[in-house]
Amino acid sequence: MELKAAGITDVGLKRESNEDYFSIDNALGLYIVADGMGGHLAGEVASKVAVEVINKNVKRWIAQHTSDDELFDYPDSALTKTGNYLLSGIKLANRVIYELSKVYTEYKGMGTTIVALSIMPSVAIAANVGDSRLYLVRGNTIEPLSKEHNMVTEQLEMGLISEEEAKVSPLKHILTRNLGSSDTVDVDVFEIEPRNNDRFLLCTDGLTDLVSDREILEIVKNGKDPEHLCRQLIVKANGAGGSDNVTVSLIFVHNLEQEKQGIIKRFWSRSKQ
Amino acid sequence: MARVILVFNKQVIKDYPFTKENMTIGRAEENDIVIDNLAVSGYHARIDRAGDTYILTDLQSTNGTFVNDKKIVSYRLRHKDKVTIGKHLLFFALSKSEQAKASEGELDETMVLDTARQKELLAKQAEKKGIDVTGAKQKLGIISFIDGSDQDEIQLTKKLTKVGKAETAEIRLGGLFMATTAATISRRPNGYAITATGGTKVTVNNQVIRESQILNDFDTIGIGSYKFQFYTQGSGDGK
Repeated sequence: MELKAAGITDVGLKRESNEDYFSIDNALGLYIVADGMGGHLAGEVASKVAVEVINKNVKRWIAQHTSDDELFDYPDSALTKTGNYLLSGIKLANRVIYELSKVYTEYKGMGTTIVALSIMPSVAIAANVGDSRLYLVRGNTIEPLSKEHNMVTEQLEMGLISEEEAKVSPLKHILTRNLGSSDTVDVDVFEIEPRNNDRFLLCTDGLTDLVSDREILEIVKNGKDPEHLCRQLIVKANGAGGSDNVTVSLIFVHNLEQEKQGIIKRFWSRSKQ
Repeated sequence: MARVILVFNKQVIKDYPFTKENMTIGRAEENDIVIDNLAVSGYHARIDRAGDTYILTDLQSTNGTFVNDKKIVSYRLRHKDKVTIGKHLLFFALSKSEQAKASEGELDETMVLDTARQKELLAKQAEKKGIDVTGAKQKLGIISFIDGSDQDEIQLTKKLTKVGKAETAEIRLGGLFMATTAATISRRPNGYAITATGGTKVTVNNQVIRESQILNDFDTIGIGSYKFQFYTQGSGDGK
């Protein structure tokens, strides 16, 4: 399996500072995007700390094949081993940011969203907290692999408001979860089997507030160079107003060996013996 | 500090300074703002503070909550907004410094509402509307063998369940035409999805699938010579 990735973060047209942060690690197959919040420089600190804490710890756990019970907080038995590394890394990042915001007055109230992707040939793991998103573009389809933790989405899921009401709700930017506001956090984690030519997009709401899923699909499904496509997405968001920081990260899966047909494979291996 | 001014028949009844993280409005005595009138529900509405933002939420009251004469479910309050509950009016007012902040903060900053309070609030709204809160969460999927096996049913507790011949598969199936991994079933934001991974024929309701498909209650799945039915817990009689 070969992974080709690019990421771009842009301040947008209306803001003075960029509180987004992202990381790309093709060797490990780990990709993270974070959207920080909090006055002065606190938002920038929160997103950077989150990304670095997750990277550092997940990398170490993978290298040392750390067992579940040595991880931070309780493991989730529904997840693969690496799925639990990612879950634990995010929970640890939450605790670190929470403690920092309590100890240092200049960091009071800081927090960040997080969306992370770990890809191995057997499984792709998606994890998120807040309203940054992860999409899977497979052929001509686009599918979310993240949940949005804001008031509007929760009200919609519970059937309290309609889709139409949700679209115009002024509460889109009121998050119900993030990293840093509480000592513990619930993380949504999904695991799927990756396919050859899958394309994954991690992004902040600076993109999705202004560019529809369909428009994203049209850009992402075409072209071969992830860097070029990231640039196009940024241009699209800024063209639509650029009201927020925008961060996009695109990962292409290449040369992923698909399993041969059961019976053919067996005859094939037999004839080789 | 923000204030809420209660007015009835053009007379100011009381002026409430916003000293806490939230204020509740209703007929019951436990409320911060008690309005003793039959048009007002026991727990009618509440206002939550998130940073410099104030959010008014109707608690599924019988007669509704209106802001500037429009019915609302949730609403971000602004200086001088007029809230109508029954025949009572509530005027929302920000202090000078808050007004200044509000006008420069029109960029729609992202903020976080206290999670515990938020859950409580949503649960209450749902309860009033008679919605089962647990129903909003993703239900556990189950597949039951219709034929082709002596196994009964399998709960899909993993995020990713592999089906096939492999020893590592969560659901192991035999047979000459069975691939090592014939299909995977994953829990996704939109529900459970089945993906054919190649080698063995996979069908949903007798339609061959090549990629992924979201599973609905009582879909029939075919993998090779095996047949299953998919359903989610609590969806009724599975079989």
